[in-house]
Amino acid sequence: MLELLSNIPELATLASHATHGHGAEGAAAGAAEAAHAVGAAIAGSGNKLFLLIPLLPLLSMALCGLYWAFGVKSKLPAWTTVGLLGASFGLTILAYFEIAAPGVTQIVHGFRWIGIDLSPHQEGGLELIANFGLYLDSLTILWMLFVTGLATLIALYASEYMAHDVGPGYCRFFFAFSLFVFAMSALVMGDNLLMLYLGWEGVGLCSYLLIGYFFTKPSAVAAAKKAFIMNRIGDLGLAIGIMMTFVQFGTIEYAGIFEQVDAIRASGGELPFAVKAIPLLLMVGAFGKSAQLPLYTWLPDAMEGPTPVSALIHAATMVTAGVYLIARTYPLYTLNPTALVIVAWVGGLTALLAATIGMAQYDIKRIMAYSTVSQLGYMFLGLGVLSSAGAAFHVFTHAFFKATLFLCCGAVMHGFAGQLDLRKLSGVWGMKGWRIVSVAMLIGCLNLAGFPLTAGYFSKDMILAEAFVTPGFAVLGWIALITAGLTAYYTFRVWFRVFMGPGEFEPGDEHHGDAEDEMTAEDGHDNHAGHGGHGGSSFHPHPPKWAINTVLAILAVGSLAVVGVYFIDTEHHGWVGGLVHDSTAHYESPFVHHGAAAHEIAGAHGAEASGAELAPGTFLGFDPHEALFFASGIIGAIGILIAAFLHGPTGFGGLFIGARTEAATSRADGLKRTFAPVGKWAERKWYVDELYDFLFRIPLWVLAHICYLFDRFIIDGIVDGLAKTPRGVGSGLRPSQNGLLQSYAVGMAGGLAFILLVIWVVL
Amino acid sequence: MTLALAAGGSEIIERLHYLHPEMALFAATCVVMVLGLSKSLAARKSAAIVTGLGLIAAAWLSLRSPGAETEALKEAILPGVMPYAKTLIAVMGLLALPMLTGVVDRAYERDVARGRAFDPLRATRGEFYAFFLFSLTGVMLCVTADDLIWIFLALELTSLPTYIMVAMSSGRLRAQEAAVKYFFLGAFSAAIFLYGFALIYGVMGTTSLPEIRNALAQSDELNPMLLLGFILAIVGVSFKIAAVPMHFYTPDVYQGAATSVAGYLAFAPKAAGILVLIMLVSVLGWTHGATGITLPAEIRVTLWVMAALTMTVGNVLALLQDNVKRMLAYSSVAHSGYMLVGLIAGPGREGDAATSGLAAALFYLLSYSVMTLGAFAAIASLEKRTIKGEMVEVELLSDLNSVCRTYPAVGWSLVVCALSLLGMPPLFGFFGKLALFTSAWEANEKILVVVLAINSAVAAFYYLRIAAAALFEERDEFEDRLALGPAPWRRLTAVAGAAGVVGLALFVSPLLRGSGDATQLGSQQTFIAGVDAENRPAQGIVNPSIAATIRADAEREQP
Repeated sequence: MLELLSNIPELATLASHATHGHGAEGAAAGAAEAAHAVGAAIAGSGNKLFLLIPLLPLLSMALCGLYWAFGVKSKLPAWTTVGLLGASFGLTILAYFEIAAPGVTQIVHGFRWIGIDLSPHQEGGLELIANFGLYLDSLTILWMLFVTGLATLIALYASEYMAHDVGPGYCRFFFAFSLFVFAMSALVMGDNLLMLYLGWEGVGLCSYLLIGYFFTKPSAVAAAKKAFIMNRIGDLGLAIGIMMTFVQFGTIEYAGIFEQVDAIRASGGELPFAVKAIPLLLMVGAFGKSAQLPLYTWLPDAMEGPTPVSALIHAATMVTAGVYLIARTYPLYTLNPTALVIVAWVGGLTALLAATIGMAQYDIKRIMAYSTVSQLGYMFLGLGVLSSAGAAFHVFTHAFFKATLFLCCGAVMHGFAGQLDLRKLSGVWGMKGWRIVSVAMLIGCLNLAGFPLTAGYFSKDMILAEAFVTPGFAVLGWIALITAGLTAYYTFRVWFRVFMGPGEFEPGDEHHGDAEDEMTAEDGHDNHAGHGGHGGSSFHPHPPKWAINTVLAILAVGSLAVVGVYFIDTEHHGWVGGLVHDSTAHYESPFVHHGAAAHEIAGAHGAEASGAELAPGTFLGFDPHEALFFASGIIGAIGILIAAFLHGPTGFGGLFIGARTEAATSRADGLKRTFAPVGKWAERKWYVDELYDFLFRIPLWVLAHICYLFDRFIIDGIVDGLAKTPRGVGSGLRPSQNGLLQSYAVGMAGGLAFILLVIWVVL
Repeated sequence: MTLALAAGGSEIIERLHYLHPEMALFAATCVVMVLGLSKSLAARKSAAIVTGLGLIAAAWLSLRSPGAETEALKEAILPGVMPYAKTLIAVMGLLALPMLTGVVDRAYERDVARGRAFDPLRATRGEFYAFFLFSLTGVMLCVTADDLIWIFLALELTSLPTYIMVAMSSGRLRAQEAAVKYFFLGAFSAAIFLYGFALIYGVMGTTSLPEIRNALAQSDELNPMLLLGFILAIVGVSFKIAAVPMHFYTPDVYQGAATSVAGYLAFAPKAAGILVLIMLVSVLGWTHGATGITLPAEIRVTLWVMAALTMTVGNVLALLQDNVKRMLAYSSVAHSGYMLVGLIAGPGREGDAATSGLAAALFYLLSYSVMTLGAFAAIASLEKRTIKGEMVEVELLSDLNSVCRTYPAVGWSLVVCALSLLGMPPLFGFFGKLALFTSAWEANEKILVVVLAINSAVAAFYYLRIAAAALFEERDEFEDRLALGPAPWRRLTAVAGAAGVVGLALFVSPLLRGSGDATQLGSQQTFIAGVDAENRPAQGIVNPSIAATIRADAEREQP
């Protein structure tokens, strides 16, 4: 370890501090103490079987590619994908019992991917090493469990959802889907930052491919490009961050980095700015991928992709990559507290902003997209206030309920020919064949709204409480609490508008699956009410069949059931907390306290750490950990009640306080007039897109045109001129080839004389 | 001969086995000459087969030629060159053989088949294959030669048969004209290099190359007359490789000769010329100039000017051609220029073929031969029917329009060979060019690298024109109808050439290593003028830094 350190000039002094202060053994012991998980890791000793977790999706991708090449026109790609991803999930469960349950760390060495000796003439010099290897600890396993698990389920869902496109499109879909799972596995499981970067770019590519799946649709293409470009901005930060990590630490392998971070922390001392900048740069990447301010605008547009994609990539897994990145490199963040403050503020503000926009949208998928942005904001807030366990728990619960919500929206969209406008859908609950969807949607909404005793309620509370506990973040705590109320409102706005009330609908303009229409024709008739007029005469909604229903049922039950994990391992705030505690993402917050005794210790710790008298914050004088269970519950309920009042239907024996009797009108419209200007701004997404357009696109457009003109007239002019030269020279030389023997002989003799002349002149 | 004279009696026998491949070819030549006169059609037809067998035997014997490990060859200029270069020549001869089928006696054999009495005096088939073998024997002798007189004889043995092959390749007047031009200009160039040889002999008093080399290594300064002799020799010999200013004949002769013979001209004399040039400049060695690691300045300038002009003139004139044969003729001129770059770069670092310009030149000769034979054979496989109903050779670029659709095998072979000539990765030609680039860069000939790069870009234009015509151009109904020629074997050369440029790309590193071994300089070559015996570096070291150190040491000791 110290050898490594001594290669890096900036850190060498720190390392020597460590050596003088504690002695080499002391530093090593400190390292082992601070990160017990790393201490258990022995490089390359892991179970090679786990290499199959990323490789099975890769195999699935290859097979789908072959199907594509051979023009398979069946559901074979779907079954291949489901099978292989399921096997991958099985292996992940195996990995859970081998690694996460006992809380050890394994490093599995695959093969040497990149090895560049940067100082070849020097023994033991700087070498860039990136293995295709896995860094498996409980954090990795936690992520992989829901990545592979949800991917399998959503592939099953997509087998039916994409059925209208069986053929090349179907193969292409599952090709990109499998590639995504591979890239996500590489991102999560890689044992170095370059593997993470490989996966990072890979998921970005798949996201691009899948958002633009309907590539004949201009808006889909534009959305795909937007997602790609916005992510590039973030990726630049990540790339520079990785390079800086290599320059500063001499390695990009997690194990090596963490060891050095522990040594630095043990030694204390001022850090060079370059080291402190690393978390700031990595953070930019995380903001891009996880759609945080200011790079969030791509995610709502990404809803142009097929819904299973939105559910898997843009809700459950890929967008949490930013959270994973910060959690994975948490030791680096603990070196620079400012970075965590920024993370917390960006998260909190994004949560609030996205929630306000979500309140004013009409497209239900878009509302869900904004809710994703908002919930991701919560996760960043959690990371920022040192509650990595809370953030991870929220990622975990969110993955379930958000996937459920998206798949329900997808089922609705699938059944109503692409209709997503909540003003044109009503009372789906009452329609035949839609009960499973409705119940699943309700469960998802309750979770998202943080209804008491749901999983979403507990995971959100962990973050909220921590925000109040950590001194200086109380303002963010209040913002997050208000956002919780707004979330409850817009979530149930969707629920009451679409699923409750009189059964009315206006179909969208995507007619497919005519055979299914005929089958369900008789059922559909009852549901036609007043509004379903134009286009509806020949259209009947087709409720989902077994694949979609099964997946929705599993996910809904799962969303409810994950609440259970909160009560396992209560010492660490639930099972997820326990997993995070065993990983490097764990950092003992001075303000986290498990009971009264720990309270005082933690308080003293905090005072010692910061060198000032900082006591844990309170919530209006109460202990936030208990008070917020009530506060957020009440706020959530208020939000739901307001939604019910404004958008809810009449009926159910006066159970509902709403007064909506048809699809479109509601009390909200009256209110909207009152708040017209604000509502308009929120509906137009606070004009952020327009602002970016003005700030970046227009200047770039002007610059591009200047460059174009320069290129067209100056560069091209020169190049064209140059291109004419050889021909000109050739035409000049041509007469020398006149076919006459004597002139050739003269030419030869003259050439010889010319050469001799040149020699005479030159020398 | 001279070699035998110089050696003792027992060495004559020993040295005879250097000549085994040549003897095999000569034996085959004798049989072929007789077979061609036979009254039996089957016997006449077997002439080509015997030629092939002779080449196979020569190739096998070449592989077993004595190499660098032979004690008697330690003193030679290029001790390891024989197995590699002779095998290359024999194998390329085998590749060219199918292309040369059906060139002569087609009309006469038709008459004989119709019942006309066979007159041996009118038949030329045997002679044609015999001249082919003679000239290949000459190329091989260029490799064996270690004496100026031998070199002269070997070069002429290479060239004289080709003059006749051009003349007899077609009944048209054009071929006669081409042959006469070729002969006179060839004789003129021979006069030039022979004069150069005479000057070298005049200064050194010997015609033996190892002796000249050893004598030069002992002396600090080079006699101006000697340098003039070398310049004349290099310029004269460069007629064989069609380098500027000795290139004038190329387009006229290639156009006048039958396409098959033009293809052969693009290979055999060039191989002989480049091998002789490598040997001649190796006699001088790369231990001269201001840095002590280049050729003598005068020779370097000569080669530099020739290389730059040859590349440029070849490529820009090829740009203007609509006649594919002329285009390929100019392209062959340009490729000679590329090979000269390797000669200027020199042997590079000891034991590192990747930095050796000589290895690169020899390797480029190999890749160039495969692809140029393939390209010429593809064109030779085709014929077109004129409005008068005559079957004539394909010559114009527009004749090749959409050939990939009508005759895919021929068309694609042509496209692949053209792309390889252009240096498109991952084809064989690319690696040849890459080796030249790296060696010239290592030798600090950066300007030449730039010239080479610009020329490669210019060359892309006309090679892509060939590829585009074959692939994309539509064929008008009123254009001459394309047909496969009457000699189906020619397609074998085309396809084998194309397969070669694809397949050999997989064996680049052993082949490059082989040409590196073949161009290792002999033992005396390492002497650096002005450095005393103790400081004499190990064999073949031309590492700039070491040479510079030695020079600095020498300077320090002087006062």
